[in-house]
Amino acid sequence: MPDIKTSIKICLILLSGTLAYSCSVSNYKLVKANRSAYQMNQNAEVDSTIIKTYTPYKTKLEEEMNQVIGHADVLMSKVDTVPENLLRNFFSDACLAQALKIDPEIDLAMPSTKGGIRIDVPKGPIRLTNIFELMPFENELIVYKLKGSDVQNLLEFIADTGGQPIAGFSMKIKEGKPADVIIKGKPFDPGRSYWVLTSDYIAGGGDRVESFKNPLEKKMLNLRVRAALIGYVKENEAAGKSIKPILDGRITKN
Amino acid sequence: MEELLRISRRNFLKTGGIAAAATALNLNALGSFASGDVVKLTILHTNDVHSRIEPFPMDGSKNQGLGGTARRAALLKQIRATEKNILLFDAGDIFQGTPYFNKYGGELEMKLMTAMKYDAATMGNHDFDNGLEGFYKQLPHADFPIICSNYDFKDTLMHASTTPYQIFRKEGLKIGVFGVGIELHGLVADANYGNTQYADPVATANKFAALLKQEHQCDLVICLSHLGYKYDHKRVSDQVLAKSTSNIDLIIGGHTHTFMEKPEDVVNLSGGITTINQVGFAGINLGRIDYYFEKYKGKRIQTASPYVISEALEV
Repeated sequence: MPDIKTSIKICLILLSGTLAYSCSVSNYKLVKANRSAYQMNQNAEVDSTIIKTYTPYKTKLEEEMNQVIGHADVLMSKVDTVPENLLRNFFSDACLAQALKIDPEIDLAMPSTKGGIRIDVPKGPIRLTNIFELMPFENELIVYKLKGSDVQNLLEFIADTGGQPIAGFSMKIKEGKPADVIIKGKPFDPGRSYWVLTSDYIAGGGDRVESFKNPLEKKMLNLRVRAALIGYVKENEAAGKSIKPILDGRITKN
Repeated sequence: MEELLRISRRNFLKTGGIAAAATALNLNALGSFASGDVVKLTILHTNDVHSRIEPFPMDGSKNQGLGGTARRAALLKQIRATEKNILLFDAGDIFQGTPYFNKYGGELEMKLMTAMKYDAATMGNHDFDNGLEGFYKQLPHADFPIICSNYDFKDTLMHASTTPYQIFRKEGLKIGVFGVGIELHGLVADANYGNTQYADPVATANKFAALLKQEHQCDLVICLSHLGYKYDHKRVSDQVLAKSTSNIDLIIGGHTHTFMEKPEDVVNLSGGITTINQVGFAGINLGRIDYYFEKYKGKRIQTASPYVISEALEV
């Protein structure tokens, strides 16, 4: 049996060949890997000590989170592969509606990216927890006055990413580019400025949005995104209305 | 617990068959003799649990009824009852996603991971959601190391809170673990990561993998990654990382919430195998890889060599 020095030499010879293997000294050789995964489903047993650990947290939380704040007529699913969906329309319409009450000048809105919308909202009672899970982040809504060219940049981002949550305007995506953009009933005019509602996250360059780097003006609303969603649902409920988003063709793609 | 497995085949391959199977593939059992002893190492992993303490509620949504820490803990207890060499890891985004995080800031997540005896975790972008202060505040509840190799926290309050790598010892085996995170700029609010310095994940991974495999002579090198499985664009992903590095045996991935049908085996820079695995999100699945090592009498040269791979456990 060759000693270690000899082995290292042999190893170096191997290294100089076409197979550049890594070399080190060990008592073990990996010979096999067996792989699988378990799913935590209804057939799984539960560990009662874990439940005991989280129960006090759960009880306190549930009192707050289980309140029903409104009702939805349809299941709103998180589907990221389509240009427009019910969940995004609900989300962006709610933010725009609440923000307009504070600032009626807003022309258009992209209050989140599609990635920022986290989870389905079920059909039926909407509980506070549904909105927290939909929008777990502490982001704020802000209004920016943008040059036409920066709005164009935003429209291009929306087109390039195959659609985003928008409100207050409609557009088509043709060959990955924005087309037929209608804002407040009029064609988009790159020669003028617009008031755009978004979140501090997006404005700060989140999800690679570059359009808000050089705004002409900025207006803080002192309104968090989640607070806007909760307010919208609660106000509809108080008015005897359910949440009933529709696909209105605000973004279509060829 | 077998009914929860993706594929379950009892005694698929008797352990006695390993030596024969390995000899056929073995390019380099130089200067040593297999002793016939086999050491089994069980790697268990989660990623992007996102504060999912309880299963998803039964409300008609896509993942209703799935996940839950009480189930994961029970399963882990069962596995621990039969396996002696276990390492349990998480690839980041422990925080954010349910009101438990909004209300308690991640305290419960850390306590439960500690109760489940996690061996280590790396940080995902959402672990910065309450700022460095928010993460730091929960560390007293985490009795396991936070491994971050390409985030430099030296100019922050987290300067002594993480480690760039850790070596675990199991029945004579040395398992080296390091962790790479995603670029924070543009993904996390500036104020939330403060003076954290970000280093290139590929260069960092190469450095630490070589250190662990070559200098520390680890028998297995694992990278906990929150880079994401793959992208259409050129962004660095686990696929890019696997192809561009040497000395990594396993990348436990996260960030993209990818439910991989099975782990992916990539030929790495030095012609060896780097396996990528990621198990979706929310603690719906627990990944498991059983590695079998044959013990040699006397020192032997360790080289990247083929080994038998199966998509079924022998339980």
